[in-house]
Amino acid sequence: MTSSCRQIAPLLEAFGDEELAADKLLEVEQHLVDCDTCGERIRLNQAMHLSVRNAVRAAAPVMPNFEARIADALRAEVLREEGLDAVVEREAQHPRMLSWRGVVPVAAAAALTLVWAASTGKQAQTERPVSASSASLSTADQLLEELVDHHMNARGPRVTEPALLSQLEPEVGVPLNFPSLKAYGTRWEGANVVPVNNLHAASLRYTMVGGKHVTLYVYNSTRVPIESRLKARTVRNEPVYVGSRRGVSIAATEHRGVGYALASDLNDDESAELVAAVY
Amino acid sequence: MSRKVSISAREFETLATSQLSALLGVASRLTRNPADAQDLVQDTLLKAMRARDQFEAGTNMRAWLLRILTNTFINRYRRGGLERSVLDGPDADPLADGWISASTMESMRDPESQALRPMLEQEIKRILDELPEEFRLAVVLSDVEELSYKEIADIMGCPIGTVMSRLHRGRRLLKGRLYEHARALGIVGPEALVGETAEKTAKQEPVIDLSQYREKRVARS
Repeated sequence: MTSSCRQIAPLLEAFGDEELAADKLLEVEQHLVDCDTCGERIRLNQAMHLSVRNAVRAAAPVMPNFEARIADALRAEVLREEGLDAVVEREAQHPRMLSWRGVVPVAAAAALTLVWAASTGKQAQTERPVSASSASLSTADQLLEELVDHHMNARGPRVTEPALLSQLEPEVGVPLNFPSLKAYGTRWEGANVVPVNNLHAASLRYTMVGGKHVTLYVYNSTRVPIESRLKARTVRNEPVYVGSRRGVSIAATEHRGVGYALASDLNDDESAELVAAVY
Repeated sequence: MSRKVSISAREFETLATSQLSALLGVASRLTRNPADAQDLVQDTLLKAMRARDQFEAGTNMRAWLLRILTNTFINRYRRGGLERSVLDGPDADPLADGWISASTMESMRDPESQALRPMLEQEIKRILDELPEEFRLAVVLSDVEELSYKEIADIMGCPIGTVMSRLHRGRRLLKGRLYEHARALGIVGPEALVGETAEKTAKQEPVIDLSQYREKRVARS
């Protein structure tokens, strides 16, 4: 290494990154004309950058199911925003006396209604204007009824090995991790995919000692809103929503965009406890 | 000159999903866990969509998304900011200090060595993951995402000089470890220290422990 190499060495990295000021750039280029070692140093740096780029990209390929999950999440956000815009517009045309406390839940409820209506294609059937909040409640009611129906008339499992649960992910659009719930005396029977609100949820079926059944639904929580008709409570510092329909207890919770709803023949306390243990 | 623009949610959806690969690559190296990386990317894109009015036209959307991703990562996983760089001992760089010849450097990037590329990629990923977060993020943003020093400084919330220093140290560690790996694989042979560096090394004082060093320093002053 010559003395001129030593002067140039601190500039080589910025030179390779194309971040060198014009005067310094000229200095380095002149040096490189006569110095093979520094030229080789730059080529090695470039080869290393390329290797790092290849290694990082190869280590994290974008899989189709992840792409679908992101598209679903963004689309749900788009629909939510468009729903809110529609409510604001309608309120501007037909102002009503609403308190601030009332505006937010009504807007959110209307957004949910529009998401539901858009996804089921039933807008045309809505001839009479229906109040946003009551429509939203009926959406949530319908969702709960669907969950109860699936629980009461469970189909045979498509997957019986926990390791194969991931096969259902592309249809459901969220990651499916297997909650064994063995500690609660349950035995896993298998999993299937069921339509809920024109979307899909994974349904994991368990049987308890004594023959009681538990169905755990896993779904994209931004697209399947059911909490509005359930009562909130806290289990082990986690918010859980609980209620019952036709003698079936329902408990729901959410974690990082994934919704978990449990329909069971248990009582509300037991259901709440169980759903809080699923992730 | 940049200005804030109004992007519709649907336009944003198209623009953002085209950056999925870049976001997932950086998220994977930050979290070092595929499931966490996917969650981080989803959170980032939803946050970005809600804050899209803050995006300035004429600036790099990828850099803007990566800034949100880095902040989300810090808030979720590192309450006190990125992991500090704690390094044991001197991180000497045989290549940068001129300890090895041009022919060795050539061997390291030789097309024949590229046959070992899959193995090399695994090794690079492993070494990268072992780097302190500050160095790792700087290297990934520069070498993989090819962002400018200024863009990296904005993302990492530090001056450009700090970016240069983190990049330099990160790359130096990476290069040193790869050199060891190349030697272990027989891609390059062992080299004797050459030239002035060797003389300097020969004249180095013997290693002393901390208490001896303090005594010596007191004696000097």
